[in-house]
Amino acid sequence: MGDMDRSVLTSQGFRPNRRQFLIGAAGVLGAGALMSSCGGSSSLSFGARTVDDGPTRQLKGLISAYEAASGNTVVYNATESNAFQNNLSQYLQGTPDDCFQWMAGYRMQFFAEQGLLTDISDVWDEIGDQFNDSYKIASTGLDGKQYFVPQSWYPWGLHFRKSMLAELGIDPDGIYNWDDFMGMLDGMKSKGLIGFAAGDKGGWEAMGTFDILNARINGYQYHVDLMAGREQWTDARTREVFTYWEQLVPYMNDNVLDLEWDGAMQLLLQRKAGAMLMGSWFGGNFLEQSQEDYDDLWIIPFPEINPEHARDTIDAPIDGFCVAANGENSDGGKDLIKFAGSKEGMQAMLDTGEPMTSANKNQDTSSYDAFQKQQLAVMEEAKYITQFLDRDTRPDFAGPVVGPAIQQWFRDPSSVDGILESLQEQWDALPPL
Amino acid sequence: MTATISRRYRGRQRVKDRFISIFIGIFALVWIFPIVWTLWSSLRPYSEIRANGVFSVPESIGLDNYSTAIQRMDLPTYLWNSLIITAPAVFLTLLFGSVTAFVVSRYSFRWNVSMLLLFTAGNLLPPQLVFIPVFKAYLTVGDWLGNRRLFYDSQWGVVLIHVAFQMGFATFVLSSYMKTIPKEISEAAKVDGASVFRHYWNVMLPLLRPPLASLAVLMTTWIYNDFFWALVLMSNDSKRPITSALGRLQGEFVTDYNLLAAGAMIAALPTLVVFFILRRQFVSGLTLGATKG
Repeated sequence: MGDMDRSVLTSQGFRPNRRQFLIGAAGVLGAGALMSSCGGSSSLSFGARTVDDGPTRQLKGLISAYEAASGNTVVYNATESNAFQNNLSQYLQGTPDDCFQWMAGYRMQFFAEQGLLTDISDVWDEIGDQFNDSYKIASTGLDGKQYFVPQSWYPWGLHFRKSMLAELGIDPDGIYNWDDFMGMLDGMKSKGLIGFAAGDKGGWEAMGTFDILNARINGYQYHVDLMAGREQWTDARTREVFTYWEQLVPYMNDNVLDLEWDGAMQLLLQRKAGAMLMGSWFGGNFLEQSQEDYDDLWIIPFPEINPEHARDTIDAPIDGFCVAANGENSDGGKDLIKFAGSKEGMQAMLDTGEPMTSANKNQDTSSYDAFQKQQLAVMEEAKYITQFLDRDTRPDFAGPVVGPAIQQWFRDPSSVDGILESLQEQWDALPPL
Repeated sequence: MTATISRRYRGRQRVKDRFISIFIGIFALVWIFPIVWTLWSSLRPYSEIRANGVFSVPESIGLDNYSTAIQRMDLPTYLWNSLIITAPAVFLTLLFGSVTAFVVSRYSFRWNVSMLLLFTAGNLLPPQLVFIPVFKAYLTVGDWLGNRRLFYDSQWGVVLIHVAFQMGFATFVLSSYMKTIPKEISEAAKVDGASVFRHYWNVMLPLLRPPLASLAVLMTTWIYNDFFWALVLMSNDSKRPITSALGRLQGEFVTDYNLLAAGAMIAALPTLVVFFILRRQFVSGLTLGATKG
């Protein structure tokens, strides 16, 4: 604690003026207010949007490395991710932590537009050369300034067990295009397996399948334009996506709408299903089950459909950090975020031993395991990165409109035209931002 | 003749009774099932569910989930938070509710019916509708007084909003109950020269014990179970009540439902305790106001 903090304490204790008396009268609140008013240049707060063991260890590793490097003290506040996300708007308007964990792309831009995030372009001037351009684009607000520093990412790809494919006599490297893929699914089905495990109870899981099919069939630009409302949901090209999707339905488990994503994962874990399209984050779950299961897990890019676009796009949501505009110590927040994005900061997180794929291009990847290296390979094949449907389009459209529409499609795939018309109508009816 | 009638009557009654018993039995099962299922889940490890499915035959049963839950939930902190929100909120709601009810039911003045209506109507607004103005007001008032966290991000702010929201219902119930208390008691008190406060404190309040007890149980349950206000009016999770601690058992991607079930059982205990302590008053309080003696 610095001198400033001590002086606050003394004035509180010995010469209470009227305002401070009011605070004191508020009892418990007073204690909280006192603690949090310890601003100053030497103390700042960090808001984590996770309470999970692994990520918490990772972030605490970062924070203690920062404290050691800078001499500042950091108060670590953690909130469970759903609660944090649902309450973010209030959090940022009220009394936010100086630096907090968030996501890149549209979800960051949305809050930047409202003036709730601090412009950190000057931080990017210093550490920008450590990131690839695609990361900088994902960190940039609509006004062209940077508001975000990437921490890590995970690719969405086709996951399977190496041992199962070997038993079926399929070579994963041989699955390049749609025909290879359908051949693989047929092979699995003939063995009585579920080919393509899927769950969409949460409403968001299947969005990944839509993203990748659309990008493979119509290309990156079309997908981005559709997400931004510059293309129509009723377009024949959007319709085409569902034609391909429908070909996958016979290979899926028949309770898609009853399973959340982890239900689908269990099918893969229990060797009841051959493959699944999912973000690689769930590797941690396999690792928790056993090292053997984790070593068996593999990922390849979703197969090519339209040779024009090959396999050039991937959904790879980027997680990272922002600095709140209403924080008490924005300069401290900036200092922390700069450290977090640097190679040393990333290394501190990797040193905790928790699996993470660093966004920093200078990172030493020698400590990555085989599955992580394969994730890097999958990522490197892609030229364009998308963030996932619910991060790429308006939040009031993705969750409440697209999610239920896809669920409805699963109930009755023949109703696709009506569903697409309704999607377009609902997009058109959205209020301007 | 009478014997056959009464036999026939008794037979019909027996069929009716049986029918009602079956009906009640089915409903009891429907109500009990989720609780039993939660209890059952809380005893099984997630890894087993993940590997074998929800309906698999259990290989191991134990209280491991409970010890993990207590540790992960940081139970002492969050239980304490719940206590310092719930106890003052319930106390203040009952105090203010009984004062208001006393005035609107014992004194007749021009606006007393409309006042009662106003209090009850306030109860009808869903919190989701009014939380933005409340949130902004908390920030603004805090800024005026020089401390943003005076109401926002403070347990007292949450207490305040609970009192405001629950008072309408408390006033409504208590004033209906007070109308059943004979006017003569009040008249006698006034003739004996009791002041308004003495009339309230020494005459009416002791008579209100049954409805106060049942309201206390209800309010405790409602306020204790609240998650919404604590979420939107606080930014620091370590100040939130136990409902938020349940969220700590839920991962970002993976939810261990068995662990969550154990946490839910733990979190439900205090309300049960309060209910059993005040159980007798609870039932009599509910029926006492119903008939006019």
